[in-house]
Parts: sequence; C-alpha cells; structure tokens
Amino acid sequence: MIGVCLKWVDRRPEPAGVGGGPDQPDERFAGVSAADQAALEWALRQRDLAGGEIVAVTVGPAAADAVLRDALAAGADRAVRVDRPFGAPSRTVADDLATVFAEATTVWCGDYSFDRGTGSVPAFVAAALGIGQALGLVAIDVDVAGIGALRRLDGGRRERLAITGRAVLSVEGGTALLRRAPLRGLLAKPVIDVVVPAQRIDAAHPADARPFRPRPRAFAPPAGSTALDRIRTLTAAGATVAHGETVTLDPPAAAERILSALREWGYI
Amino acid sequence: MPDVDVIVVGAGPAGSCAAIVLARAGKKVVLIERGPFPGSKNMYGGVVYPRILDQLIPEWWLEAPIQRWVTRRSTMIMTDTKALTIDFRSQAWGAPPYNGATAYRPDFDAWLADHAVAAGAELICSTTVTGLLHDANGHVSGVVTDRPDGELTASVVIACDGVNSFLAKQEGLYGEFDAANYTLGVKETLALPKDVIDERFGVRGTDGVDIEIIGCTGGVNGGGFIYTNLDTIAVGLVLKLPKLAAQKQRPEQLIARLKAHPAIAPLVEGGEIKEYSAHLIPEAGISMLPTLAGNGILLAGDAAALCLAAGIWLEGVNFAMASGMYAGQAAAEAIRSKDTSVAGLAGYQRRLEATFVLKDHRKLRRAPELVLSDRVQHLYPEFATSVAERMFRVDNPEPKPGVRKIVAQERKRVGIRRRDLAKDGLAGLRSFG
Repeated sequence: MIGVCLKWVDRRPEPAGVGGGPDQPDERFAGVSAADQAALEWALRQRDLAGGEIVAVTVGPAAADAVLRDALAAGADRAVRVDRPFGAPSRTVADDLATVFAEATTVWCGDYSFDRGTGSVPAFVAAALGIGQALGLVAIDVDVAGIGALRRLDGGRRERLAITGRAVLSVEGGTALLRRAPLRGLLAKPVIDVVVPAQRIDAAHPADARPFRPRPRAFAPPAGSTALDRIRTLTAAGATVAHGETVTLDPPAAAERILSALREWGYI
Repeated sequence: MPDVDVIVVGAGPAGSCAAIVLARAGKKVVLIERGPFPGSKNMYGGVVYPRILDQLIPEWWLEAPIQRWVTRRSTMIMTDTKALTIDFRSQAWGAPPYNGATAYRPDFDAWLADHAVAAGAELICSTTVTGLLHDANGHVSGVVTDRPDGELTASVVIACDGVNSFLAKQEGLYGEFDAANYTLGVKETLALPKDVIDERFGVRGTDGVDIEIIGCTGGVNGGGFIYTNLDTIAVGLVLKLPKLAAQKQRPEQLIARLKAHPAIAPLVEGGEIKEYSAHLIPEAGISMLPTLAGNGILLAGDAAALCLAAGIWLEGVNFAMASGMYAGQAAAEAIRSKDTSVAGLAGYQRRLEATFVLKDHRKLRRAPELVLSDRVQHLYPEFATSVAERMFRVDNPEPKPGVRKIVAQERKRVGIRRRDLAKDGLAGLRSFG
C-alpha cells in the first residue's frame, strides 16, 4: 500500500481562523496545498512504476471529502476519511493516519499546509508506525528499486538519501505538479470510506488553537557598566565560541553525547 | 447513446437554473464551471431581482446569501459640480417576498449551484470547455474540455458561458461583432464599517440602497452606480466601449473622478479598496441578440446577450435565471420528444417570447440607444441640474421667474434644439410609457 496524506484546509492567504483559532474552512476556498498535491503525484508515479494500491487519507469533517474526490479522480485507488472536526491536534491526526497506514510501504505527505501548521504530522506518523522518515524533500527520483531523494538541511545544505525500506516522506510543493484529473475521473462516482475514531476530542484543542508564540525564557540581566557592554554580553558579540567538538561515535552514543552537550551548554 | 442528457456550460445564475430544472425533470445533467467554484471569477456589483426564484426555490429568501435588501432607490443626474436626485424608498421592499437585493456573487452563485447539485446535477469545476462536438449531421453532440480524455457527449448543450461566448461564436450563432453593443463595467468594492454605511446612506439593519447615476462619466457615454452591501459598498461605472477607446481615458481614472464628486465623496470617504474589477456587459438589448438556439444547442444568460440596460431599469441576473430556467425546460421537453434539432428546441424561444425576458426587451428596444445617446449623456444632465438650480435659487430682490421661463432659457443656454427635445421625449415615452 502507498499512503498519501492530504490536509483539507482553507487556501486563502488570510482565512478567518488565522490568529483566532482553527475555524472551519470555507468549503469554496478549501483544498490541499501544493505540497500535498506533489505528494499525491509522487505516489501516482511510484505506483505507475512499481505497482501497488494508493490510499489517500484525510482527517476532517464530511466537507473534506472534496479533496478525496479530487485524489480519486486524479488516480488514487482508495480514499479514506477519518471523521474528526477540523483542527484536531497534530499527534491525534498522525495517530488517525497511522491506523489506516499500518500496512503502507511508503507514506507521502506534503511538508507544509496553508494554515501554517507545525509541519509535525509526518514525523508523528513515522513515530506512530515505527518506520523511517525523510522530511523536507526537495528532489525525488522514483525508481523500481527504490526512491532517491535530496533532503533540505539547515544552512542551505542538502542530504542525499536512498530510501529502500518503509518510510514516511514529506515533499516540497515544487518537486512535482499534480497531473490534471481526466474528465471521466471527475464524473465517476467516488467511494470514500469513512472511519470514525474511537477517541473523540474537541475541535478546538487549546494547544493548537493559539497562534504560534515562542516560549518565553528567563535570562539574568546582562553584566556591564554601559549599554554597549550589556548588549555585547547579551548577544555574545565578539566572543569566541567556547564549545564544540568533533567525536566519532556510533549513532546511539552520538545521540547521547549531543543531548548531554546541549544540557551542559544550557540549551535544553 | 450520449454520455449524459444535457451539458450546461457555466455555473452562473443561468447555468445553475437550467441545471436545477433539468435535474428535477430527471435528466442526467453535467454543469461545467471554469472557475474553482461557481461565482469565483465573477465581478458583478449590482442588484439581484430574484422574483424568478419564486418558481424554483420557494421561500428562497430564508436561505439565500443576501447582503442587503434594497429599500431605497435613487436616480442621480449630475454634472461636475451639481447633482439632482430622485429618491424613492419603500419599506415593503424590505420584507418578503422582497424586490431586489445586493449580494456577493461568489456567495450567490455557489448557493444556486448547490441547489443544482442537490437536485442531482453533477458539478465539475476548474474545467474549461474549449469547443463543441458535432455528429455526422453537424448537430452539436457534446463538448471538448481542457482535461485529459476531455470529451463528453450529450443530447443538448446549454451555453451559459457568459458575454463573448466562445461556444456561440464557434456555432455561428452570433452576428457580426460590434463594439458599440458592449459597455465595460468597472467596479471598486470599498470596505466601510456597517454603522458608517447605515448612517451615510440612511438605512438600518439589512436595508440597502441602489443609486444609479447619469452624467458622471465625463466625455465617455455610460453611467455610474453605488450599491450598499453589509460592510462594503460597490462603486462603479459602465462605459461605452467606442467612446472609451476614442477618449483614451482609463476607467479607474473615471471612477476616481466619480468618487471625488461633491455628491459622492461624503458617501465613499475612508473606504478601503478591497477589489477592483472590470467586465464586458452586453447592453444593446434586442438589437444584438444572437440566434438563441441551434441544432443541439441553446444560449442563455449573458451568452445570449440577455441583459437589460434601459436607464431606469438595469437588470441582468433575473434575465439570466429566467433564460436558464426556460432553456432547461425546453431542453427537457426536446429530449422527451426525441427531437433536439432547432425545431425540437423551439420551446425555448416560445417561452422567452411569452414572458418578460423578450417582452421587456422588445418594449424597451429603443431605450439603450436613447440612454447612451450624446444628448442624454452630456446635454440633459446640465439642462436638468441648471433648471433645478434656478428653481431653488433665491435671487431677491428679483422676483421668482416662472418654471416655463427657466426651462426655455436653460434649454437655449445649454444648446438643446426644441425638436431634439421633442424627439427624445417621444422616444422616451415610447420606451418607458
């Protein structure tokens, strides 16, 4: 099974919900992001090359069926909607998706949505399924043998990946343009499976309803007799970096060392 | 066997009404819309006269996405510094069954299309019909779209693809194109707080105002309008194309000039521009009507040039809805009788002739030419406002002049010949009487 995650969201630049909570999208302006469209296109290309069944899934109310109808028209084999109110928390959405994708070999996601979500759903899906993740892909090469991808890293760097096992992949919108659905596809009567999750939650989860605000951190007042000195202290301008080391360790030990170093340096 | 019974091209008011009628008649109908949703590419800023909806959606006013019910209607005649307004108000228009309403067409069209879908029509959006299919006899047998495998066949195609219909052109249903038959409608939507609109326009709640203006378009023949929505107002102009081209004026400059007029500036002051848009309007009335039916094809709405621009009556959506409804009825009738040729579809013309759609157009056939004539546009506003100014001016110690004397003096001063005045008066009487 090849899974595709599609987020039904208001595509207007300033929907009513911005800053005021996850309002229900206006159905006329709702759809999926270019990144989600690219994810569907990559799933179609993968199936066309290697075979398999594409299952498109969204989490949302009945109005979200529209994006699944479009996916079926474009060529998806099956569509599933997990019935939840709009605005469920990322982890809940990911758990819902993972339930459907239990047998999936590859799960394709867009790496962003129009409503400025946290972008954490793909990672949560991978964690829930216990499989690998390759997020923020800027170039993809689908082959019968596997998937090659270029991943965006901080600082303009790139990482080349060869994906051979089960994985969740999130892609940028520019990687592919979704093929235009044929007229017959649009006219076909779509069948959408609706899954009602056992766990019900409120639509407006407080943690997700607020606009993004970085957490405040308490700092001691900077030392210095003049304002300039205090700014230098505060920003560490001109100071040499006091920490940083190169070590060669196996992955678990490296992860442990990174965490301990971050704790030592006061970052976590 | 065709894929479907009827393909309706364009999910505006005409297309959706056609689809509603056909779906309710049990016909398999596909409604194809170019935009991502019905109404998405609309720029309309006028008044919807929804009487025809009574036949399609009982008590439509309980659910229709209306901005304001028009209870106050003004006709303003203006020059650069003067304005004479005839103002009418009726609270009866603010209660069911209502008379006219302002609406955002993206809301209104989507609502109407939802009714077509609820009735059983298949709505396909983001799909452009690029041409017509023909059978061996040359009859229209379907459409070609811009999608892969994009051909779809039908017994009848109803083209509601708007002014400048490419399908009507392809089928040869339009006569020779004449720019003089069209005006350019330009509109700004200005945001203002609701209480400010209520105060400036003298209304409350969901009561609204429709102001039609003549003499506000400089050297370009046309007219102006202001319509109130809940928290926006639509200000715009309709401009005769050949004059606009000859004068080399920009439409947005003419709107700016209207907004700066002393009679208009206090109404629009502080409004934030939310939208500027422009669109062609078929305004020549019955003289520009295309052939309304061909073998396997009907035209409705703006595609059929069914827009009434007759000075005091400016109507389009009601003509679109009615023509769509009658096209749907005629198509269903033709399919039942298994004859979708021109003869089989003759019920469409018959219905239009029997109702306001063509009766109004015939009665008002001289009105568009009269209203957009140079005298009505440029001489009469100066004449009327000058007469009013003289009548209401107090010239003590001079005694008040008689009205007849003022009229005679101002007619002469403005340069209107008596026989032209009589001729236009007679034409007006014939049209509006």
